[in-house]
Amino acid sequence: MNFTLDNIDGRLVGTARLEGRLDAQNSKPFQKTFLEWLEKTPLLVFDCTLLDFIDTSGLGAIVGCLRKALENKGDLKLAGLNDKVGMVFEITKAKRLFSIFANQADAASSFASELNPGTT
Amino acid sequence: MKTILAFRESEYAWVHEKFPCVHPLLLPLCNKPFIEFLIDFAILAGSSAVRILCDGGLGEVERYCEDGSRWGIDLSYASIHPDDSIHAMLGKNRKFCGEERVMIVSGFSFIRYDKRYDYKSFASSMPPGEWSTCPGGRITLTGVPTKAVPDWLIADLSLMPLDSMTSYYQASMETLKTGESRYVLPGYGDEPECAFGRNVVISKSVEIRKPVSIGNNVQLLGNAIIGPSAIIGSNVIIDRESSVESSIVFDNTYIGEHLEIIGRIASGNRLNDPKSGASIAMEDPHLLSGIKKNRHLRSLPRKIVHACVALVMIAAFFIPFIILWPLLKLGGHWKSSPASFLSERTDETMPLAKVEVDASGAAAAIAVALSLDRYFRLFWVVTGQLALIGSTPLLAGESRPDAPAYVPAYLPGVFSYAEAEEWAATGGDATIVERFHLAHSNPLTDIGLVIKAFINRFQEKSTI
Amino acid sequence: MTITETSKIGIAILSLYGTLDALSAPELRNNRSIIDPEKTVVIDLQQVDFIDSSGIGAIVSASRQKRQPSGGIVLACMNDRVRKVFEITNAQKLFHIFDDTTAAVDFASSRQSASA
Repeated sequence: MNFTLDNIDGRLVGTARLEGRLDAQNSKPFQKTFLEWLEKTPLLVFDCTLLDFIDTSGLGAIVGCLRKALENKGDLKLAGLNDKVGMVFEITKAKRLFSIFANQADAASSFASELNPGTT
Repeated sequence: MKTILAFRESEYAWVHEKFPCVHPLLLPLCNKPFIEFLIDFAILAGSSAVRILCDGGLGEVERYCEDGSRWGIDLSYASIHPDDSIHAMLGKNRKFCGEERVMIVSGFSFIRYDKRYDYKSFASSMPPGEWSTCPGGRITLTGVPTKAVPDWLIADLSLMPLDSMTSYYQASMETLKTGESRYVLPGYGDEPECAFGRNVVISKSVEIRKPVSIGNNVQLLGNAIIGPSAIIGSNVIIDRESSVESSIVFDNTYIGEHLEIIGRIASGNRLNDPKSGASIAMEDPHLLSGIKKNRHLRSLPRKIVHACVALVMIAAFFIPFIILWPLLKLGGHWKSSPASFLSERTDETMPLAKVEVDASGAAAAIAVALSLDRYFRLFWVVTGQLALIGSTPLLAGESRPDAPAYVPAYLPGVFSYAEAEEWAATGGDATIVERFHLAHSNPLTDIGLVIKAFINRFQEKSTI
Repeated sequence: MTITETSKIGIAILSLYGTLDALSAPELRNNRSIIDPEKTVVIDLQQVDFIDSSGIGAIVSASRQKRQPSGGIVLACMNDRVRKVFEITNAQKLFHIFDDTTAAVDFASSRQSASA
C-alpha cells in the first residue's frame, strides 16, 4: 500500500492504493495505518484498482475509516472497485455510504468541485 | 408424432462451471427444470413419445424424469456423438422414429411458447424443414405432414440461446414475468404472478412484491423484502432485514441478514453477477476468518502464575508425599512407567512418567485423592515445560484426529480443563472444553479451574 | 451367453444372448469377426440381460483391434439395463449406438466403403 498527497486547488488530498486482500488477517493493522494518513489530511481517496478481495472485516475497516474521516470534517471516497469488491459493497448496502468513482483522478478532483461549487 | 431433444455437452459447459450442483438439463428456470419446459412443449405439439439425446451423462436427468409416465408420455434416453448431424441422430434412432412425423429440438436453448396456442395442428401440418432457429439451437420437423395447413393458424414461437449466465438470467426473468399465462409453472397462489411452494414460512413483517416464485421449504425471516422479480428455490432461508430483488436464489441457499441482493444469482455460497460474470463467496461472518493457532497460549504472566501455584502445591503436598510415596512404592501399589507425550511444540515430545496407583488401602486412597500421582509433574510446571492446567497430555506416536498438528490449541498440563469441568476425560466433548478454556482462560481463572479440577479429583477418588 | 452371427452387405452382425460377464467375455473377444481388424461389426445387444465391467471391457477392447476405432464396432438395440452400465462407465462416448440393427448396418457399410 502506498500513500501519496496531491494538492488539489490548494487543499491536500491523500490517495492510498489498496492492494491484494483486505480481510480479517490485515484489517486491524490497516486501520492503524489509516490513522497516520488521517493526520496528514482528512480528505482521502482509496484507490481500489489493485484490491482483489475484501471480506466483512475488511469492509468494516473501510467503513470505520469513513467514520473517522467524517469526524475530522473530511471525507473518504473510493475509486476503481472491481466487480467482486463492488459486489461486496452492494450486497451489504455499504455502497450507499460512500462516494464511488471510476478512477482515482475523478475521485480526487471531486474534492475540488465540492470546495468551489460554482465551478461544477 | 414424436419428439427428439438433442444436446451436446459443449453447449452447456458454462452451466457446469457456474452452477456445478445442478445437471445443466435440470437447470431451474423459475423453479422448473429446463428439460420440463421442453417436455411440455413436445406434449403441446402432440408428441406421444420423447427421446432425450446427449453426448454426455444423463443419469441425473433420468433419475428425475424417469420414464415420462408423470406426463403421460413415453420418455427414453440415448447417446450421440458430439459431431452427429440431425441426419445421423435420426439414423441412430430409426426404430424410435418409425414412420411418424418427428420434431427435433436441438441445442441448449429456451423455447418461448404459449400454452394457449395450438401447436399440435401446426406441428402436424408444417412442411418438413426448420420451424424455428436461433444461434446454437433449432427446431426441425421431418416426415410428411399429416394434416392440411389450417388457414387460421398462428402460433407464437421463438428460440433463445442459453449460452451464458446473462442469457440464463434473462430467460428466467422473462419466464417469471410472462408467467402462468404462457407456461405451466410450479407453485400455488391465490393471485397471479405470485407462486408459493409447500411449507413456506413467512414472518409477519416480510414484504412480498410481485412477481415472485418461491419453492418448497422456504423461510423468510423478519423484515425481509422479497421481489419484485424474485425467484427463490427450495430449502432456502432469507434471513432478517435482507432483500432479494430481480434475483435468482438457487435451491439450498442461505442469504444472511442485512444483505441486499439485486440483480444477482445466488447459488449455494456463491453470489454471481449475471452481467459481468463475477462471483464472490458469501461466507458466514462467524466462519469468515480462518482458524489460526493461538500463539498466546503461553504468555509470560500465565506461565509465572502457573509456576507459582505449582510451587505452592509442591510445598503443601511435600509432607504427605514424602510419607506416602515410599510407603506405596515399597508396598508395590505405586507403579510408574516412562512414556513419551506430545509436547506443546509441534513435532516435539517430552518424557513423562505414567503413574498408576492401586487405590486399595487408606494410604493409596489419600495419595490419589491428593493427586500425588501427579506430584512429579508439578516440577515440569516450574521449569515451564508443562502448564498447571491445560489439555490432557497426549501419548506420542498415536495418529489421531485431535493431534496437535491438526488442532488449533494444545497445551499439555498437569491437570486438564476437562477435569475441572467434569467431562469424561476421553471423547470429543472434553477436547472442545479444553480448547475453549485454552483460548479464553486467563491466569486468574486458571487458578480457579485448578482448584476445581483438584477438588473434582479429590471427590471422585475419595468416594471410591 | 450365445453369439449368433449373421452377415448383411458384408457387415457381420453379432447378436448376443444372455449374460456378458467375465465368464463369457472371452467368447466375444475371440470371435473371428471381432479379431479381424478390417471387418466392421455390428453388435446387437437387445437380448443381453446382464453386462458387467468385463463385458464392457470386451467390447471396448474389440473396438481397439479395429482399424478405425470409433467405427469398427457399431452397437445396436441397447436395452435399458445395458445402457445404464454403459452410461455409468462412460463407455457410450466411445461408440456409435443405434436403436435399430438395419440402421446400424447402413451406417457401418457407409463407414466401410468410405474408408476403403
